[in-house]
Amino acid sequence: MNDLNNISQSSLEFIAKYFSKFMVMSTSEVNELMQYCEFRQFSRKELIVNFGEVDDYLNMMVSGIVAKYVKVKNKEIILQLSTEGHIIQSEISFLTRTPSLVYLKALEPVTMISLRYDKMQDALNYFPKGERLGRLMMESMYVKKDERRYGMLSKSMRGRFIDYVTHQPQMLQRVPQKYLASYLNITSETFSRFKLLLQKNELV
Amino acid sequence: MLTSLFNFLNKHITVTPADFEILMSKLEECNFKKKEHLTEIGEMENYLHFVSKGIIRRYFYKEDEEIITHIVKEGGVIGSSASFFSGLPSRYVIEAMEPTTTFRISKSNLESLFCSDNKKWEKVGRIIISHFLVEQETHILDSVRLSVQQRFVKFVSENSDLLLRVPQKYLASYLNIKQETFSRMKHLMLEKKIKVTIDS
Repeated sequence: MNDLNNISQSSLEFIAKYFSKFMVMSTSEVNELMQYCEFRQFSRKELIVNFGEVDDYLNMMVSGIVAKYVKVKNKEIILQLSTEGHIIQSEISFLTRTPSLVYLKALEPVTMISLRYDKMQDALNYFPKGERLGRLMMESMYVKKDERRYGMLSKSMRGRFIDYVTHQPQMLQRVPQKYLASYLNITSETFSRFKLLLQKNELV
Repeated sequence: MLTSLFNFLNKHITVTPADFEILMSKLEECNFKKKEHLTEIGEMENYLHFVSKGIIRRYFYKEDEEIITHIVKEGGVIGSSASFFSGLPSRYVIEAMEPTTTFRISKSNLESLFCSDNKKWEKVGRIIISHFLVEQETHILDSVRLSVQQRFVKFVSENSDLLLRVPQKYLASYLNIKQETFSRMKHLMLEKKIKVTIDS
């Protein structure tokens, strides 16, 4: 699971490209950074973080889908659907070292590059670009979260639906409808109706 | 005067008086009148503000309605931060709710700290952002996992002073609670039918 020799060339290229979103790094720097990381894989429906457990990992998605959700009165409310190229974790738990209030679960077989909390501290201390990369990643996470909160508060159900299918069209096929509906805070019935309208090209 | 900032940073990292002096040289003291706007919608945010006196709110418009996403008092950090970090136009208005004093840092001054030889400043930057991130995520989580009454109780126990300083309609908007419900909760609290333990 954690054997870096088994990482394919394409995965390494993916990672290099991934980090280049944040800052320019040479191949040797990427390789150095990878010494702190591990590859983790999860099967479909596997729980990655349980409620009440301290999340020890910052994860960058290589493939698959992870759902982050809370349980309220036995109902799962989806907060985040994370796929290739996204960052996913139980942020509050990871950053403040407290028990997680959310669950993370694989919806598809998942491969991720993970940085364990203690290794992250090492990377921050010893990898020369670590602090800057950490800051830039965190900025990007914050900006996305702000976008999400703004979208949920400012847009109508229809607006949220259109926005999501425009930016993440492949998710309609990959994620069960009830999860998407929950993520967008729309009832399943309304979601179906929007989807039908979308297929008939009548959603504007 | 900026002890709250000093203490905030020292919770996470050792900031020596000499470091703090460097930081202070990058900050600019600003005074705002009540209702004065620090940032407008569509503007690029160029500053983060450390609030030393007063209250600042952040909001956007949903049609004609103001939706408040932040109310920040002494000791807090505020700005149209997503715009500040991303360079995209601000979605929010930043407005003083009382006569307010802040110490603001500009993007270029912050960048000059990040580029200095002392790697401590990158860490300071990361800590401030993780603070924003945790705060934002906590608000999102609370809005789905807590009942209206639980949100009210949590807010009041952490910010009892704001009940007196901030108009009720703003607090209700911030908590995404109807004004009538907010009033009802407040009455129940005063009649001691809702128990609130004040944190600070």
